[in-house]
Amino acid sequence: MPRWIDVLRRRVIALVRGRDLDRDLDRELRSHINQQIDEGLAAGLAPDEARLAAVRAFGPVSAIEEACRDTRRVTPVHNIIRDVRYAGRTLLRHPVLLFMAASSIGLGVGANLTIFSLANELLLSPPTAFEAERLVYIRTGNGSHVSYPGWRGLDESRALAGIAGYSVEEGVNWRGTDVSVTIVPLVVTANFFDVVGVPMALGRGFTAQEAAAGRDPRLVVLSDRFWRRQLGSDPSAVGRPLAFNGDRYTVIGVLAAGVRSLPGYGLAPDVYLPISRRLAPKLDDARTPAVQLIGRLHDGQGVDAGRAALSTVVQRIAEGSGDQEFRTMTVFSPVGGVSQVKEFQAVGAFFLVLLVVTGLVLAIACANVAGLLLARGTTRRRELALRVALGASRSRLVQQLLTEGFVLALAGTLAGLALTGAVALVMPRLSLPLPIPLDVRLAFDHRLVGVAFGLVLLSTMLCSLMPALNVTRPAVASALKQEEPRYVHRRLTLRGLLVTGQVAVTALLLVVTVVFLRNLTMTRSLDPGFDTEQIVVAQLTFVEGRQGPLDAPTVERIVERVRALPGVASAAFAEGVPLTLFSGSRVGTAIQLDGADAPVHVEYDANRVGPGYFSAMGIPRLRGRDFEASDRAGAPPVAIVNQEFAERYFPGRDPLGLRLQWEERAGSPSAEIVGVVANSKYRTLGEGREAAIYTPYLQQRDVERMVHVLAGTAVPPGALAAGVRDVILQTDDSVAVAVQPMSSALAFAFLPSRIGAVLFGIMGLLGTLLAMVGLYGVMSFGVARRTTEIGIRMALGASSRAVLAMVLKETAALVGAGLAMGLGLAALLAQPLAAFVVADLSPGDPLHFAVTALLIVFVSLAASWSPARRAIRIEPAAALRND
Amino acid sequence: MSKPADLIQGTLDLLILKTLALGPNHGWAIGKRIQQMSGEVLQVTQGSLYPALHRLEQQGWVASEWSTTEAGREVKSYALTKAGRKQLARELESWERLSAAIGLIVREA
Repeated sequence: MPRWIDVLRRRVIALVRGRDLDRDLDRELRSHINQQIDEGLAAGLAPDEARLAAVRAFGPVSAIEEACRDTRRVTPVHNIIRDVRYAGRTLLRHPVLLFMAASSIGLGVGANLTIFSLANELLLSPPTAFEAERLVYIRTGNGSHVSYPGWRGLDESRALAGIAGYSVEEGVNWRGTDVSVTIVPLVVTANFFDVVGVPMALGRGFTAQEAAAGRDPRLVVLSDRFWRRQLGSDPSAVGRPLAFNGDRYTVIGVLAAGVRSLPGYGLAPDVYLPISRRLAPKLDDARTPAVQLIGRLHDGQGVDAGRAALSTVVQRIAEGSGDQEFRTMTVFSPVGGVSQVKEFQAVGAFFLVLLVVTGLVLAIACANVAGLLLARGTTRRRELALRVALGASRSRLVQQLLTEGFVLALAGTLAGLALTGAVALVMPRLSLPLPIPLDVRLAFDHRLVGVAFGLVLLSTMLCSLMPALNVTRPAVASALKQEEPRYVHRRLTLRGLLVTGQVAVTALLLVVTVVFLRNLTMTRSLDPGFDTEQIVVAQLTFVEGRQGPLDAPTVERIVERVRALPGVASAAFAEGVPLTLFSGSRVGTAIQLDGADAPVHVEYDANRVGPGYFSAMGIPRLRGRDFEASDRAGAPPVAIVNQEFAERYFPGRDPLGLRLQWEERAGSPSAEIVGVVANSKYRTLGEGREAAIYTPYLQQRDVERMVHVLAGTAVPPGALAAGVRDVILQTDDSVAVAVQPMSSALAFAFLPSRIGAVLFGIMGLLGTLLAMVGLYGVMSFGVARRTTEIGIRMALGASSRAVLAMVLKETAALVGAGLAMGLGLAALLAQPLAAFVVADLSPGDPLHFAVTALLIVFVSLAASWSPARRAIRIEPAAALRND
Repeated sequence: MSKPADLIQGTLDLLILKTLALGPNHGWAIGKRIQQMSGEVLQVTQGSLYPALHRLEQQGWVASEWSTTEAGREVKSYALTKAGRKQLARELESWERLSAAIGLIVREA
C-alpha cells in the first residue's frame, strides 16, 4: 500500500473513530504503567510503593494523551465540530436572539435569492433543448430576422449540424368549441424540432420531411400550458384536429411542462406551427424578414470553428445575391450563461440595480445581527475572559464566535431559501396583464445553491467578524473583574461605526424607495391625453383574407353596427390603440415638408385610424376636420397631425393645407394636412411630448389582419362589452375577439412602473424596517450601557436636560455622518435611476432626500429618546450600583 | 537520577526507528532500550516517547498491534513498516552528515 493512502486511511480513522483510538491510547498508557509497576515489584518494592513510583515516574497522563491526540492532526476538524455543537447549544438557550437573527438574515437572503433566481431564470438559463451547449444564436446584417430563402441557404451549407428558424408571430385565431381566441404561435422552420430537440410529454415534434413548407404542412405541436388550459389536459390530444385561422391542423405532439422557449424572457408560445405560405404569404421573397436563427454545432465543433465556417457561407451568399441583410454575421453566441446576458442588456441592467438594492437589504440585516452579537458579546466578556485565562487562544475564541455567526447565517439562509421556495410556488399563479403568454418558473439549480452558500459565508463574515474581533480584544484582567470601561465614553467605537454605516445604507435605500413610490403615483396621475374611463376596446384578428376588400372592409360594417348599439355614443376603428402592446408604430423617415428645401428626417408615432376616432377616444380636435368616410383609396391623400408635430416642423405656420411628401413614396401624390389634434401619450406613459401623424385607415395599401374597434360609451363600459362582442361575431364568426374596458387594456402601460414600484417598494420597506429595528436596538443598547456614567454625572449635579442633550447630541453626530454618506451615495445613483422612471420625475429631486432625512432623524430620535429618559430617571445611587 | 540530556530536535524519531529496526517492541521497552543502549545517558520521558510513536504511526513509518508479553502483560507493540525502513535510512544519512558537520566545528574550535 503506498504510504499516502496509508496516511489518508489513518486520518479518516482518526476522524470517525476518534473514540476508539482514545480508548486504545488509554489502554496503552495503562499498560506502560503496569510494566513500570512490575519492574518496581521485581526490584522488591511494596505494591503501594511500586504503584506510586510508577505513576510519579510516568508524568501528567492527560497532557501526554493530549499530545498523542494532536499527532492525529484532526484537532482542527474536531474543534469545528465541537464549536458547531457549542454554538447550537448556546443559541438554543437564547431563542429570541436566534429568532431575531435568523429572521433578519432570512429576509435579506430570501430577497437576494429570489431576485437572483429570477435573473438566473430569465437571463442566464439556456432554453430547454437537447445538448443546449451546442446551440448558438445567429444573426446576420442589421436585423434580428432573415428571409426564408436566406435561412435555407444557410442551413443547406451544412456549415453547422443544422440551423433552424423561428419567429414569434402576432397571433393566430384558434376556434374552440364555442370561443374564438387569439393565441401566440411560434412559427418555425420544418427542421426546428430536429435541430433543437425539445422534450415532449406526448407525441413528438414534426420532422423536416413531413413539415416541409412546400407540402403545406398542417401539423401543430402544443405547449403544456395550451394543452392544459384549452384542451383540459386531454390525454388523447395527439391526432386531434384543431382549427387555426380557419384551417384544420393535426396535433402531433405536446411539449413537456416547464420548457424554456427559445425567445427567452419567460415567453411561452401557445403552439408551434411549421412555417408555410398559408401563414406567411411572402415566404419566398428574399427581402421579407421571416425567421430568427438558431444553430446547432457539429458534434465536437467548437464555437470559434462554427463561427468561422458559417461566416464564410454568409459572405458567399452575400456575394451571390447582393442581399444587404447578408453583409456580415453579427452574432454567433452560445445560448445560456453570460453571453446570453449580452443579448438581453436592458433587462440585465434592471436586475443589476435590483441586485444592488437587495444586497443593501442583506447588508442592513447583517448589521442588525452584528449589533445584536456585539451587545451580547459585551455581556459575555466574562465568559470569554475566563476561557482566555484557561488557555484558549484568541484565534480559537474568534473561530468559535465565527462559528456562532455561521450557525446563525445558516439558519437564516435556510429560512431565506424557504422564502424563495414560497415565492416560486406562488409565482406561476400570478397572472400579469400581458397579452402574451408568460411562464416563469424559479429554478432551484446549482447556481442558486452556489449563491446561497456564498451568501452564508458572506453574511457570516458581515455579521460576526467585527463583533468577534471586538469582544476578544485582549483585556483579560479587567474583563475578569467585569470592569468595563464604564465611566469612559470613547468617541470612535465599533458601535458608532455600525450605526453610521447602517444609517448610510438605509438612507440610500429609502431614497430609491421614495423615488419608485413617487414614480408609481406620478404614473397613475399622468394624463395620457385621451379618455380612459368611458371607452370599450375590442381587438379583432381576422382570418387571413376575411377582412374583405380594401374599399369596404368588414370592420367598417362592424363599426356601423356597434355605433347603433344602445349606450354607445361614438365608435371608430383604428389599427393601433395607444399605450397597449399594439400602439401603432414609431417611424423615423425622410419627409419633404411643405416649404422646406430638402426632405427632413422626421420622427413620429404613426397610427392609421378610421372616421370618428378622435371623438371616440376623447382626443380634442384643435383645428380642421376629422377623417371622413370619403377619405379612402382613390380619394386625395390626407393626414392629421398632433400639436407637437405642427409646432416642431411648422413653427409659426398654420399647418392646415400644408403637404407632406414621404420620400419613400416619391411619385405618388402628397398628403394634405386637414386637421390638428391635441397631444397625447402613444407608447409609454413616461414619454415626453412626441410628434404624431394619423392617416386614414382606408387609404393604406393593404389591411392588416388585426384591427381595433373603439366605442365611446355613456354607460359603464363593462356593461357594453358583451354587446360589442356579439355584434362582431354576428358579422364574422371566424374573427378572434377580445373586448375589455380601456382601463384594463391600459394595465400593460402601468406594468413596468408597477413592477418597479412593487419590487423596490418591498425591498425598501424591508430594508428600512430592518434598519429601524437594528438602529433602535443598537442605540438604546448604547445609551443603556452608559447608565452608570449618566448616574455619576447626575450625582455630580448635571441636570437631566444637560444629560438628555448630551445623549441626543452624540446620536445626532452618528446619524448625521451616516445620513451625509447615504445621501451622497444616493445622489450618485440618481443619474442611473432616471432611466427607470417617468420623464417628469427627477430622482435627484431634493424632496426625496428631505423625506428620507426626516424619516431617519425621527426614528433615531425615537430610538435614543426613551432609553435616555429611562437613564435620567434612575436614582444616581442605584445607577452607580448597577452592573 | 541524573537529568536526562536534551535530545536534539528530531533525533528521537531516529532513535525510535533504530530501536525498532532490531525488532518489534512496545513503548515501555523502547524507552528502556534507548536508556540502556545510550549507557543510561539518554532518558526518554513518556511525554515525548508516546507522541513520537503516534506521530510515526500517523506518518506510516511504523505499524502497531496488540500482543502479549512473556509475563502475560497486554502491550501495544510497534514494528517498522517498509516505508519506515527507507525513512530510517534517510534519517541515518542526514544524521551522519549533521554529526560530521558538528564534529568538524567542535574539533576546529
